[in-house]
Amino acid sequence: MSHAFYLDVDRCTGCSACAVACMDQNDLEIGPEPTAWRQVFGVETGAGSTARIRYVSLACMHCADAPCLIACPAGALRRDSGTGAVVVASELCIGCHSCSMACPFGVPRFGKDGIMQKCDLCSVRLEYGLEPACVRVCPTKALRQGDPNELGLETERKAAERLAAGS
Amino acid sequence: MDKLQRMIKGKIPGEATGIEVRKSVCTICDPSGICGLDCYVKDGRVVKVEGTLESPNNAGTLCSKGAAQRQWIYHEDRLRAPLKRIGPRGSGAMVPISWTEALDTVVQNLARLKAESGPESVVFFCGYPKQPRPFLQRLAFEFGSPNYCTESSACFTAMAMSWRLDYGQLAGPDMANTKLVLVWASNPFYANTPNARRMMDARDRGVKFIVVDPRLSPMAGIADLHLRLRPGTDGALALAMANVIISEELYDRQFVAEWTLGFDEFRAYAAEFDLDRVERITGVPAEQIQEAARLYATTKPAALMTSSTPVVHHTNGVQNQRACAALAGLTGNYDVPGGNVPQTFSWLEVSGAGFTTREHEFAMPRPWSDMPPRLGATRFPVWTEMIDQGQAMDLPRQIATGDPYPLRGLMAFGLNHRMWPDSKGFLAVADKLDFVCVTDLFLTDTARHADIVLPACTSVERSELRCYPQKYVILTQPVIEPLGEARSDTDIIIGLVQKLGLRDPLLNPADSVDGPGRGFLKNGAPDMGAVFEDALDWILEPSGMMVSELKKHPAGMPVPNAAPPAFKRYETKGFPTPSGKMEFTSKVLEKHSDVPGHVALPVYAEPKLSGVSTPEVAEKFPLVLNTGSRLPMFIHSRTFRLPWPRSLRRQATADINPATALRLGIDQGNHIELSTPQGSIEVLANLTELAHPETVHMFHDYPEADVNALLAGDYLDPISGFPGYRASLCAVKNVGQSTPAPTTPNAGGGKEAS
Repeated sequence: MSHAFYLDVDRCTGCSACAVACMDQNDLEIGPEPTAWRQVFGVETGAGSTARIRYVSLACMHCADAPCLIACPAGALRRDSGTGAVVVASELCIGCHSCSMACPFGVPRFGKDGIMQKCDLCSVRLEYGLEPACVRVCPTKALRQGDPNELGLETERKAAERLAAGS
Repeated sequence: MDKLQRMIKGKIPGEATGIEVRKSVCTICDPSGICGLDCYVKDGRVVKVEGTLESPNNAGTLCSKGAAQRQWIYHEDRLRAPLKRIGPRGSGAMVPISWTEALDTVVQNLARLKAESGPESVVFFCGYPKQPRPFLQRLAFEFGSPNYCTESSACFTAMAMSWRLDYGQLAGPDMANTKLVLVWASNPFYANTPNARRMMDARDRGVKFIVVDPRLSPMAGIADLHLRLRPGTDGALALAMANVIISEELYDRQFVAEWTLGFDEFRAYAAEFDLDRVERITGVPAEQIQEAARLYATTKPAALMTSSTPVVHHTNGVQNQRACAALAGLTGNYDVPGGNVPQTFSWLEVSGAGFTTREHEFAMPRPWSDMPPRLGATRFPVWTEMIDQGQAMDLPRQIATGDPYPLRGLMAFGLNHRMWPDSKGFLAVADKLDFVCVTDLFLTDTARHADIVLPACTSVERSELRCYPQKYVILTQPVIEPLGEARSDTDIIIGLVQKLGLRDPLLNPADSVDGPGRGFLKNGAPDMGAVFEDALDWILEPSGMMVSELKKHPAGMPVPNAAPPAFKRYETKGFPTPSGKMEFTSKVLEKHSDVPGHVALPVYAEPKLSGVSTPEVAEKFPLVLNTGSRLPMFIHSRTFRLPWPRSLRRQATADINPATALRLGIDQGNHIELSTPQGSIEVLANLTELAHPETVHMFHDYPEADVNALLAGDYLDPISGFPGYRASLCAVKNVGQSTPAPTTPNAGGGKEAS
C-alpha cells in the first residue's frame, strides 16, 4: 500500500495544530526563519460580503515521480522502501538547494547547518501502526493519511451523498 | 541509522525504546472540557505528546497550544524554587529561598494582616488553572476572608448570570439532537477546540448553522447564514429577531402563556426594534435578520450556542446576553431534546457529567453572612446575590479607596494583571498592598510585583480530578516528577491551611500521622497528595465514586450509573427564578432597580463608547476596538513565550479589514499606532477579511503591546462588572515600516507580507 496525505479543505480551519505537532514529533528548533516542515496558509478571495477565507495545510507531497529525488546530485533523497515516502539522508546532503528549485511545492527547508530537512511522513510511526503526528492531532480531522485510492473513494462517497441529497 | 535508533528518533513507545505512554490532561487553556493528554515519557522526561484517543472530549486530537506542551513544561523560564523580592516592586529582583522560609513568610504576613486589619483585608485570587479553586475558596473562608475571587470575574460568569436571570439556570445547546444551531459569537475553531470536530460532524449530518459574529471566523465561514453585526449590538439584533418571531406568530404560544413572566412588556419593547432601525444599529441587512429569525423559529428543534465572553464583554453585556437567551424560551426550545438543556454542575463548572459532588459544601465551609461584605458587594449587587465569589474587577477601586474597608494582602494563584482594563493602573494600586504572594509557573510581569513567588507545576506534574459532559471522569496521576522544587497548587494551599493552623477536619486533620503525602518534605515544600485524595473522596461521596477506583483507570472512565437526561423539568418543579417562571422581566433586576443599568427588561444600550453614544470621542477615534477576539495559537498570556506557537504569529499584530486599511493608507505588515483616549501601542497591521470592517481586532495580553492598558478601569458592565473589551473606540495610523514585516503566513486569515 502506498501512503499519501489528504487534506479536506472544507474542514481545515487554519488552527495550525498540525504544524506544532510536527515540531513536537521532530524536535524542530524554530528560530526567526520559517523552517517548519508543515505550513498552514489562509487564502482569502473576494471582499466584503463576498469574502471567503479558506485554509490549506501543506507539507511534502511525497510525489510518486518526485522532482527533488531526480534533482539531488548527492543521492541524499531516496524513497523509503516500506512506506514509499520521500526521505532525506542528511549525512549525504551537500546543501546545494537543487531540491528546492525542483520542488513544485516549496517544501525543502534548511536549518542553521544548511542541510535540507523536510517531512518524512512519520515513516517510522507508520511502520508501527501509528498515524503521522499532524494527522493524529488535527482537531477537525481535515488532515488524513492513507492509500490514495482509498482516500479518493471516501471523498467520492461523500460526493455521491451530496448528489443524492440534491436530486 | 540502525533500527533501534530509528525507533528512538521516531519516539515509538515500547520496551525496546524505553518510551512509555502515560495519561494526563492539558490545562494550558481551561474551558469546561479540557483535553486528555498522552505523554510519551523516556527516562523521566516527556519526549512527545498527543491527544488521548480514549478521551470522549478530544478523541486523540489537540490544538496548536496543547501540542506545544513540552515547551510549556520544560521552558527555561520555569520557576524551580520559591523566590523572595529584594528590589522594588516590578523590578524582578528576586532571590531563591527555601520553601520553609517562603511559607513561614507567607504565614507570618497573613497572620499579621489578620490581627491588624481583620481576615477580610486579605484577598484570595485564582486564575488558571481552575483545578485549585474549591481548595482556595475553602482556605479563604476558613481564614475568615469573604474575598475569594477568580479569573471568572471576566469570563463565563456573566453569560451564566444572564441565562439565570431569564430562566434560573444556564442552558447549553443539545448538539447531538438538534437540527439547527444559532451560534451566537462562538468560534470553537480557535478556543475550546474539541467542539470544532462536533461542529463539522453536525454540518455533515445536515444541521444548519446561523452564526452571529463580527468576524468572518472559521465558524462563520461554514455558516448557512452569517449575521455580521457591529460589536456590542447583539441585544438590538436579538430584540429584532424576537420582534419578527412575535409579530409573525412564530413563537411558542403555550410555553409563553403558561411559563413566562412579563411577555406583554417584552413584546411591546421588542416592537421598538423594527428591521430598518436594527439594520442601522447593527449593520446586518434587514432581510438577513428576518431570515435568521424565521429559520430559528421554524426549525424544530433548534439550539442556541452562546459563548463565555463575546456577548458579555460589553458595557451592556448582561442585558444583551439576556435578550439572546430569551429567544430559546420564546421559540419553545428550552429544556427540550435538541434545544437548550439546563445544566447542573458536577465539578469545576462542568455540567452534564452525570454525577453530583459536595464541591459547594467543600468550597464554602461557612455562609457569606458570617463574614463582612465581599469585593464588589455594593457596586455589583446582582453579582453578589447570584455568584459565590467576589467580583475581582472591583479590586483596584477598593485597594485605592479602602471603601468599605482596607485591603492589604493578596494571595494569588495564576494572576495576570492584563485581565483588568487599565492594566497598568491595576499594578499601580496593587503595589500599594502590604503583602503580595503569587504562585505561578513563571516569573510573569505580574509576579514581578509580588513579595514572595511560589513555584507551581504543570498538569503533567500533578494529580487532578476532571469530568466531561460525555459522562466521563478522570483522576490524573503525575507522569513526571515536578521540576526542581515546584509543587502543585493544591499541595501549596493545603500546606498553608496546616501552617496557618486552621481548623479543618479534612485538610488539617487533628489525628493526622505524618507520612508520604501528609506533610512537608525535607526542604519544607508541602507534599499533600494523600490529604488531597482524602478530600476528593469526601467531595465525591454523593457520586459513589472513590479515588481508589478512579486510580485504576489512568485514561479516565465512564461515570458509573450516570443520571439519564431528563427534559421539561420545569413542568413539575417550576423555574428556579423568583417567580417560578421564565422571566422576560427579571425580578432580581427589578429588586435592584435603584442601581443604574438595572432594568427588568433585557434593554438594549449602545456600548458606552461608540460612534452613536459618544460621537465627540468617535471623531478622533473612529474605529471599534475589540481586544477579546481570539487567535488559535494563543490563550490569554499563556503561550507567548513558547517558540512553537509564537512562530505562527511572531509579532504583536492587529487584524484590520483590507478595505478599512486601504482607506487609512495602511499596507500589510506596516507598523501602526493603535491609540485610544488612554494611550497608544505600536503593532503590525495584518490585513484580513476576517476582521469586521469598522473594527480593529487586537489580541490582548502581549507584554510588548498591552492593549488592555488602553481601556479605562471603569469600562465595565454595570450588572456583571465584566469589562467592555469587545467594543470601545480607537484610531490607527501608519507610522512607517521600520522593521521587516512578518515572513510567515498568519494562521487565522491574513495575506502574505508585501
